Amino acid sequence: MTAFAGPRDLLEVDLSARTARRTPLGDDVFADALGGVALAVRLIEERVRGPLDPLGGDNPIVFAAGPFASTPVPAANKHALATISPLTGLLNEGLSSSHFSAVLRRCGLAAIVITGTADGWTTLAIDGDAVRFEDASHLAGLSARETTKALRDSYGDRSLRVCAIGVAGERGVRYAAVENDGRQAGRGGTGTVFGAKRLKAIALRGRGEVGIADPAATARLAATLRERALGPKTAKYRVLGTSANLRVLQRMGQLPTRNFTAATFAGAENVTPERARESAGTYVELRAGCAGCPVQCEHQYVRKGRDRRSAAASEYESVWAFGPNCGVDDLDAVLEAIGRCDELGLDTISTGSAIAFAMECAQHGLVASDAFGPELRFGNGAVLLPAIDAIAQRSAGLGDVLADGVRAAARRIGYGAERFAMHCKGLELPGYEPRALPTYALGLATCTRGACHNRAATYDRDLRDPSDDRGDGARARDAIEAEDRAIAWDSLVLCKFVRDCFDDFDTEAAALWSAVSGIALDAAGLRAAAQRTWERKRRINARLGWTPDDDTLPERLFAEGMADGPNAGRRVEPQHLASLRAAYESLRREAGMPLAVG
Amino acid sequence: MNVELFGMARALAGVSHVELAVDEPVAFPEFLRALADAVPALVPDVVAPAADALVEPNLLLLDGRRGLRDGETFGEADRPCILFLASGG
Repeated sequence: MTAFAGPRDLLEVDLSARTARRTPLGDDVFADALGGVALAVRLIEERVRGPLDPLGGDNPIVFAAGPFASTPVPAANKHALATISPLTGLLNEGLSSSHFSAVLRRCGLAAIVITGTADGWTTLAIDGDAVRFEDASHLAGLSARETTKALRDSYGDRSLRVCAIGVAGERGVRYAAVENDGRQAGRGGTGTVFGAKRLKAIALRGRGEVGIADPAATARLAATLRERALGPKTAKYRVLGTSANLRVLQRMGQLPTRNFTAATFAGAENVTPERARESAGTYVELRAGCAGCPVQCEHQYVRKGRDRRSAAASEYESVWAFGPNCGVDDLDAVLEAIGRCDELGLDTISTGSAIAFAMECAQHGLVASDAFGPELRFGNGAVLLPAIDAIAQRSAGLGDVLADGVRAAARRIGYGAERFAMHCKGLELPGYEPRALPTYALGLATCTRGACHNRAATYDRDLRDPSDDRGDGARARDAIEAEDRAIAWDSLVLCKFVRDCFDDFDTEAAALWSAVSGIALDAAGLRAAAQRTWERKRRINARLGWTPDDDTLPERLFAEGMADGPNAGRRVEPQHLASLRAAYESLRREAGMPLAVG
Repeated sequence: MNVELFGMARALAGVSHVELAVDEPVAFPEFLRALADAVPALVPDVVAPAADALVEPNLLLLDGRRGLRDGETFGEADRPCILFLASGG
């Protein structure tokens, strides 16, 4: 086997003992697990042998660098974070990106594993080869952005790269995010685990060279990808951003509205960021993106005359969570809610879903409608900020209840509130309608992370032709392919926004990996690595208590037909989901992958 | 024939609907040529340069919910929409 050319060190940090140990990972590790999510999952599997308290010191947080970060490969300055989720109790692996990812490798690191719990708020400072545990008590209460500025000021170094949590992570909100460079690893509560460990921030400074096995081949392949990424295949992200989905899903009658009680939203047009763009006299549009990415997909908006630093990102999921899902048709209220979540360090999908859940509970008299001051009801944009603040601060009462996520909140509220809790395995649903998308419904149910649209992106096939009834076997194959493909992307790690820039992803991506790493890989090898990682994810979850019965959907999707639009009346038939799952499990077994191994 | 535009098609055309001069029912190839003629700005980012295909991930759905079968013809009453979805980064 050829030697892995890139940074290969694993940094193991024990916050309780205040120790750090640096060891090189062997070539066999990279041949097996590539990097990113696959490497993070492998490192988690080696350390999680049975049930554990996600908020305890034993729960590891793993950072695993994308193997193309800090190389000429575009849309690849990314890293994976993995831990056991305090929201689901299961494996949670997410991604973040930009300069922090690149500098991680410039510190000579392939991965960091953090265990233990610090005595007080701590910044883990990694300065090249040196590791320090610094007092962060003066940073408590600051946002991630403020924390970054404070650390840069104290170091006198504006190039310092920082990831940090905000107030929500400090207060133990179970869906707190970790932010770096304005990007968030939001879902599943990795920021909560940071907070439980009293880890406020990680500061990186590294200027080492990042080795590339075949620089000429890498430059050639990267140039091809960059050229394609500047073309029409990514124009939708550059020109419009993901929020363009709002108008499309509204037209298709598949826009989850008011906590999934409707599928069309009369006010959708009002919260479409395209409308903000078209109202150039009212809003200013700002563009942003990750380091080294030609797509620059992020579209931010702020009202003219306001501080541009308050501009909020208008990603589809975030706009959906506070717009249609809360029945709010006021774009200012939605953008302010998104901005406040970023400031406090909250996952926007789970926060919006928690508020929508509470609105429905209030509608049915299960919680006080004045719990946050302004009336807690669908459509009232004035309640969003007070609710978000109460959640982030874990204010006594409903804020504290919602801070644990909708599954736990429903249990505490009782009186049948479970029927309003839209989650899979504890993770709140994103903005697609499973009742109209059978393959997506299967993908959500089987996803090891819970209701994650990025790990189970099976809506894409369904949406291309919603009327195509291609049978359970084909849907199961599509779901498996989507899961494994996502693992491959998330392990290399490439942004999925360049997904259409490959003619043959497996072959071309494997060639990129071989050129960069020096370890030969072909298309079949890439697929096998993804399958191994899927198996590891299942095995970790089984150790944590997952059973096949957990692979299901919220009760509402079975019990209530869609209320309106062209899909009115559609629901998930329990027998159909069982049939889809049987086909899925059969295909997974045929591929030699056991479904649950303790 | 009235066609609804979403996403990139709408951004490039600058309008939410476009009127095509075609005989109905129309087959997909004739529809695409008429679309390219009516809105040249859609070529090449939405309609392929030869006007023989939509550029991925743009697609044609009838009434926003049904794909076209091989050889199928359609008319304005079928409410053709050009759209796409974008997510997952």
